[in-house]
Amino acid sequence: MRDRQRKLLELLDKSGAGLHALLTRLTLREDIAEELMQELFIKLSNSSGLDKVANWGAYARRAAINLAFDWRRSRKRTPLGLDQVHEPASNDNSPLGKLIQTEELEEILNAIGRINGPSREAFVMRYIQQQSTDDIAKQLGKTPHQVRALCYKVLSHLRDVLGSDQLPSSGKEQYDVEN
Amino acid sequence: MSKIDENEIRRRLKLLSQIEPTPEAARRATERVRDTLVNKEKRRESTRMWRAIIKRPMTKLAAAAILLICLGYAVGRLSAPQPPDVEQLRSALETSLKSSLEEEMNRRWQPVFAASCVQLKDELHQQVRRDLAEFADQILTASGSLTEQRLMELINLIEAARKQDRRRVATALEQIQLNRLQDKTLFGNGLVTLAARTDELLGTKEN
Repeated sequence: MRDRQRKLLELLDKSGAGLHALLTRLTLREDIAEELMQELFIKLSNSSGLDKVANWGAYARRAAINLAFDWRRSRKRTPLGLDQVHEPASNDNSPLGKLIQTEELEEILNAIGRINGPSREAFVMRYIQQQSTDDIAKQLGKTPHQVRALCYKVLSHLRDVLGSDQLPSSGKEQYDVEN
Repeated sequence: MSKIDENEIRRRLKLLSQIEPTPEAARRATERVRDTLVNKEKRRESTRMWRAIIKRPMTKLAAAAILLICLGYAVGRLSAPQPPDVEQLRSALETSLKSSLEEEMNRRWQPVFAASCVQLKDELHQQVRRDLAEFADQILTASGSLTEQRLMELINLIEAARKQDRRRVATALEQIQLNRLQDKTLFGNGLVTLAARTDELLGTKEN
């Protein structure tokens, strides 16, 4: 038990900031991200199967993503976390502009939340965490090609849910992320 | 739901990826989790320690002994004859003592109180008289000294006025003396002039 405690503290030092940033992006609220972070580590601490997990960081990230989307599903009405969005979508800094932007982001996140399993995790890592497909493949234990396929599946879903009838320029995933 | 194209979806995803929590919020969240983990471990250690203590044979024996003692005490209390009602006894004693003590006190202390009252009255009267006499003395002394002080002030004022008058009279006399001397000189000069003119006139007539 003491060993697990030490490992959890190491995980907190190593990945705490990243997990908090991920939770903030998925919830759009810093206070909720803090609460979910607390809940995440308590769950990890109480988890009976944690000792069998090889990669604690990946396990924690998956749990964080699940917690964030569970929170999105559980709340009935969306409170607006306008202050968390640092870079506005346009130069319009008016309250109305922020409101519209937050609603747009909420719309995307709610659509992603309807997906389950490794597809969602891969998509979040790729498009929200801006990781490269190679890195994601290593962390998920898949090939880069499989990762691209998973991301494409989610993107197609988003197009179906949110988008118009317009098809993407090609059938493959487009690489416009930074990594 | 709004209809958006893939570019818009990608733009929104890009925006999402650019959201960063404030450093203060990140630090606060991390510290909170750390505190929780450390406190949890402390609580676990405390629980473990208590469990270890409870699991010891000596602890079990001690607990059994305490339980037996408590049981014996409870049985003893329950099987013992009921004691008299202490509250009732106390109230009866209180009433009886109160009535007997009241009568005795009235009988014994009433004459003493009356005598003491007369004596106290006399003492008080004398004390008041002494105080009044002392007060009168103090008033007279104070009044005398105040009158003396006022008289001294008056004398000083009269003396000062008298000195000022003297100075004025002396100044006036000096002025009179000066005027007199001036008049005398003028008169002398006039007489000399008259004598000289008279001589001249007489000389002219003789010629």
